[in-house]
Amino acid sequence: MSAAPALSASPPAAGSGRLARRIGGRVAGLLVVALAWEGLVLLLGIRPFYLPRLSAVLAAILATPGAYAAGFLRTFAETLVGFVTGGAFGVAVAVAFLRLRSLREMVFPLFVVSQTIPVIAFGALVVLWFGNTLIAKAVIAFYLTFFPVTVNALIGLESVDPRQIALMRSFGASPRQILLRLQLPSALPQTFVALRLAASLSLVGAIVGEWFGDTTGLGVLLLQAMYTENVVAIWAALLVSALLGTGFYAAVAFLERRLVFWGAEQ
Amino acid sequence: MLRHQDDAPAPAPEPAAPLIELRGIDKTFGTVKALSGLSARVGRGEFVTVVGPSGCGKSTLFNIVAGLEEPDPGGALRFEGRSCHAADLLGRVSFMPQRDLLLPWRNVIDNAILALEIEGRPRKEARAEAMRMLPEFGLAGFEAQYPHQLSGGMRQRVALMRTFLFERDLMLLDEPFGALDALTRALMQRWLLDVWQRHRRTILFITHDVDEAIFLGDRVLVMTARPGALKLEQRIDLPRPRRPDLVTAPEFIRLKRTLLEAIEEESLKSFQVAQENAR
Repeated sequence: MSAAPALSASPPAAGSGRLARRIGGRVAGLLVVALAWEGLVLLLGIRPFYLPRLSAVLAAILATPGAYAAGFLRTFAETLVGFVTGGAFGVAVAVAFLRLRSLREMVFPLFVVSQTIPVIAFGALVVLWFGNTLIAKAVIAFYLTFFPVTVNALIGLESVDPRQIALMRSFGASPRQILLRLQLPSALPQTFVALRLAASLSLVGAIVGEWFGDTTGLGVLLLQAMYTENVVAIWAALLVSALLGTGFYAAVAFLERRLVFWGAEQ
Repeated sequence: MLRHQDDAPAPAPEPAAPLIELRGIDKTFGTVKALSGLSARVGRGEFVTVVGPSGCGKSTLFNIVAGLEEPDPGGALRFEGRSCHAADLLGRVSFMPQRDLLLPWRNVIDNAILALEIEGRPRKEARAEAMRMLPEFGLAGFEAQYPHQLSGGMRQRVALMRTFLFERDLMLLDEPFGALDALTRALMQRWLLDVWQRHRRTILFITHDVDEAIFLGDRVLVMTARPGALKLEQRIDLPRPRRPDLVTAPEFIRLKRTLLEAIEEESLKSFQVAQENAR
């Protein structure tokens, strides 16, 4: 009996220190940008109509924090619902396409056509159907989300090593067991490429949806500011949207690192 | 096609009923004939090794016995004395492919129990069983490691453990040590014999290494160049347990010469065919 070679596999610890350093670096970067914004506007005497000072924008947000917080939450809810349903639908359709070649040949071209319709044109219709509800915005976010997820999940599902499938079959695995234990996990890295893209797209969908009429939401704040030519308010809405977009993207990226911890191996 | 038999006059002490028996098996892929009239039998508890020139259809033979590939109609396939289709063998043979094919998102223990999980065994119970087996496979303390954290030899042992845990009478090993360095490979061979003698399974083992085939096997099957058939069946009457210095024993060398001659002849044949095709 051969002894096990003592291989000191590097433990995945020591990550917390690196994480703290990375976050610190990002905060420092943000501070530099903030200072440059403030400083350059003052230094070059840029008129507030073109670019207000950051401090003025922040002051505007702090003056009516309730409106921005409500807008943030509302748009976040629309984005999240659209993203989650779009992602789930996208993966489900990819699995259906994988299993049923004929369905794929029939439906896939229709999907492509649907995606060539500008979302603006589609938005009016959705608002007619669902009214000024959260659902209407979520539907638009969904519409922008599911297609890239379908395409990428399908690529991931199809790129599973056939020898891997043969091994599972030799164990007597059913198609369902092969799907759950092999194909879906294998497709995760590729699916997450689309999910990161969809994180930004679903926010676009939610904001565009709000432009068709609503009373709360970041899109509504943007529109109101535009109508009243309130430049500071436009920048304020923009800043909060950026915060939402970045935060949402970061959350998806974090989920990806947790779930696809094995990296691009194989 | 010539088919030599073992030149030992005494009747081979073959077990009464072979575990698996192939008779006149053909397999064609499109216009390529991979196997032609292949016949072979493996007795219960036997360790049979298969060697042959590259591209001789060894893998096709394995895929048929693993149930992954159906042979052309006409031949006979019998398992445990009953005639059957290849597909009937799915889930009844524990198969280890050339590459370890570990799932990167599962740690050592969860990779090892994959087949048990598919059988429907409760995860907890399967894990406990695998934990008991870890030391024997030189993996004690590594249960929570992921494949990318392991060396090639360890990954191969995890794959072997997965094969052993899937308790089936017949084990199919397809060049399991092919990717390992010579030293690790020699260790793994002795270790495998050790484990095999304790668990007493039937093993069909593919290799392209003649030394390995003799060192491990009770019998060595030499396959012909494509289309694959049985060229030579050589009984290996070397005593067990087999020691590392066995490979220099005159008896071993004599067997090796016989086998190498047969393989050489077939390799030359497939080489000539390739040359003719290139012309």
